Amino acid sequence: MMSDILTRLSAVPSRPHGATETTDETYDRQLRDLVTYLKQPGLVPSTTDPNEYLQVLSPSTHSLSFLYLLRFHIQQAQKRTKRDIPDVLQPGGILWKWAVRFLRSFDPIQIRYSIHEWRQLVEVVASAALTTSKSFLALKVTRDALEQLGLCGIFTSTHLLLVRLALLSSSYTYALPITNQLLYHFPTDADHVHHGYLSCSEHAPTTTLVTNASGISSKLTHRDHLQYFLYSAMIYMALKKWDEACHCLNAVITSPTSNAVSKIMVEAYKKWILVNLLGYGKVISCSIVVSLHDVGAWLIDLNAQIPPTSKMIAPHVMRVYQSVARPYISVAEAFEKGELQKMITEIDLGQTMWQADKNTGLVSQLFEAYDKFVIVKLGKTFSALTMADVLQRTSSTAQSPLQIEEFVASLVMSGALRANLSHTPHENGTTMLRLSLGSRSDTCRQEHIRAELIRARTALNAIAQGVTQTDQTLELSRENLQFLAKSQKWSGNSDKISSSGEAGGGGDIDEDIMGDGQ
Amino acid sequence: MDLPPLSLDQLFAVLSTAPTPADLYKILSDYEEQACLISPKEVELLSAFYTIFFFSHLLTDQIEEARALTKRMPQPILQTDSVQNCLLLLRAVWQSKHASIYKILRELPWPERAQSVVQSYENHFQQKTLKEVSNSYEAIRPAAAATYLGLDPTLAQQGDQEIIQRFTACGWSWDPETQLLHPKPVVSAPPKDNGLQRELSRVMALISH
Repeated sequence: MMSDILTRLSAVPSRPHGATETTDETYDRQLRDLVTYLKQPGLVPSTTDPNEYLQVLSPSTHSLSFLYLLRFHIQQAQKRTKRDIPDVLQPGGILWKWAVRFLRSFDPIQIRYSIHEWRQLVEVVASAALTTSKSFLALKVTRDALEQLGLCGIFTSTHLLLVRLALLSSSYTYALPITNQLLYHFPTDADHVHHGYLSCSEHAPTTTLVTNASGISSKLTHRDHLQYFLYSAMIYMALKKWDEACHCLNAVITSPTSNAVSKIMVEAYKKWILVNLLGYGKVISCSIVVSLHDVGAWLIDLNAQIPPTSKMIAPHVMRVYQSVARPYISVAEAFEKGELQKMITEIDLGQTMWQADKNTGLVSQLFEAYDKFVIVKLGKTFSALTMADVLQRTSSTAQSPLQIEEFVASLVMSGALRANLSHTPHENGTTMLRLSLGSRSDTCRQEHIRAELIRARTALNAIAQGVTQTDQTLELSRENLQFLAKSQKWSGNSDKISSSGEAGGGGDIDEDIMGDGQ
Repeated sequence: MDLPPLSLDQLFAVLSTAPTPADLYKILSDYEEQACLISPKEVELLSAFYTIFFFSHLLTDQIEEARALTKRMPQPILQTDSVQNCLLLLRAVWQSKHASIYKILRELPWPERAQSVVQSYENHFQQKTLKEVSNSYEAIRPAAAATYLGLDPTLAQQGDQEIIQRFTACGWSWDPETQLLHPKPVVSAPPKDNGLQRELSRVMALISH
């Protein structure tokens, strides 16, 4: 009996990459038949030991069978114990181990046929970890599972789950492989699916396969999308990656809204002000400008061409922001104008608000950021200053020339401030801060230029790749244009074409036609 | 691939065989899941694991994530001597207190078997600082340079030849008249700018979608 079931369960192994022995049509039919078989009630006796079957099947080769069996055992355990998370499913339990092993090694092509069940498994694993206060364990598994599935820019509820787990477990770097990915699709409605692809086709774009009907995501709302970007921003803030944090917050605060402004957007706006001050010393208008601003002077011209964030926010939304985030705006104004005392007063006055908004940590970093940007600004006026001069013009944290020297040295040494330090000959002599780039040694200057050239080359390569991809997407590639030109010729000689048989010989032609449907 | 079970022997085997700090960090990252499942009563093992894992963060210059690690360590482990030392070290690194960093690394009691990773970090920090000072100072008093590199500032200020030679061996020049060292900038390839690549990819993706 068991051997019969096992034979059936292992009848459709995953296809190696590029394998051609089984056609897409045959493989698709086999997998659909397998799913039908797996959905039969009472397929496996409820008394079966989970290990009995799971040990025999490979999660990477027989992913569909493995997933259904695992789900069956989880459901049995839940029924038996009348608990959502029975002991065997808790971290370290036998079903937990099988689930983790599966989520790290499943075949993404096979799972396309049971993606709803896949998501349920991810969610139950996360729930098990959260119940035992071990959210960290769920974070890594969820990340690995998402990477294994390879969703290519599609936002799902699992993404939101992942960033929540990262924040709950204070493990930020582990979430970056997912949060760094560009998201530009929601799961599509089934009506809009391109029916030209089979689910098992390696070349099928994920966007055409991952639909709402497939169950890849629980029902997504506007709020989920905002929360994902807010949480991602918080992850970047914890890592002091201000560019990325600003990008995510921009996505939230500029989100279109017809009337009411959500609390998430207001929270994001408050953080956005603080992140701007910490990252750039002022409230900068656009994430794209911010991110590209530092990478080379050649990109600065973009600044004028991109609309500022304030113009991307509807006036009624901006009015709400400005009224509810007044204390933050006051701090930002004082910070930008270099009014230290006023900034300190505003920060003291807003203590209750910072605490309520859970922004105390960010606000506390403003003092150091203030000093840093005051010193950076000095470079616009002075080419060289003594530490006593610097101390006089800065603030807050340092009390003596020695302390300010330590602070300035840390800025210069970390690369946050482009300057040089120079001690004068006497034992108790002064330390000069040379802010002019002209004071850099030839070697440093050459090194700086070399670095800029390398960055520019990287940028050009990235643009060139993007252009090629865009050409392909828009079907502007040379090959396609040649094909179109040929097609036009053919259309004038259709008889000849049909007799030559070339029209049907086209793997290439099929691909191009498929491309139209995207 | 399943990792061998986490034990003290396995931990120190990993420590001694990992080819680079990045490898050490990667392997210990994978082991963190096992560490999460070990009873907090296994203080010796967990304390050793988190101490070495903490240093692997510092060796790969992940200061913010090292701080995050200290937030997710099991509570009983936070009270152990070596993890307490790690917290002191983290504060000193966070605040760029060079003298304190060397003092903590050299004078606090670290577990015997963790000495190698402590020493590795001292070397790493010293090399990193040497490069940073070389690129930041045009002229520097020997005492200040010695403090940055964990050498004796008093001897350096007195012009101790051995200390001066350590700097001149790095290509720095010594001016006996002004009693100043002139560092030689360290030229190195800029790190690969993944951020730029990502930003431009975003722009291009927006254009094509």
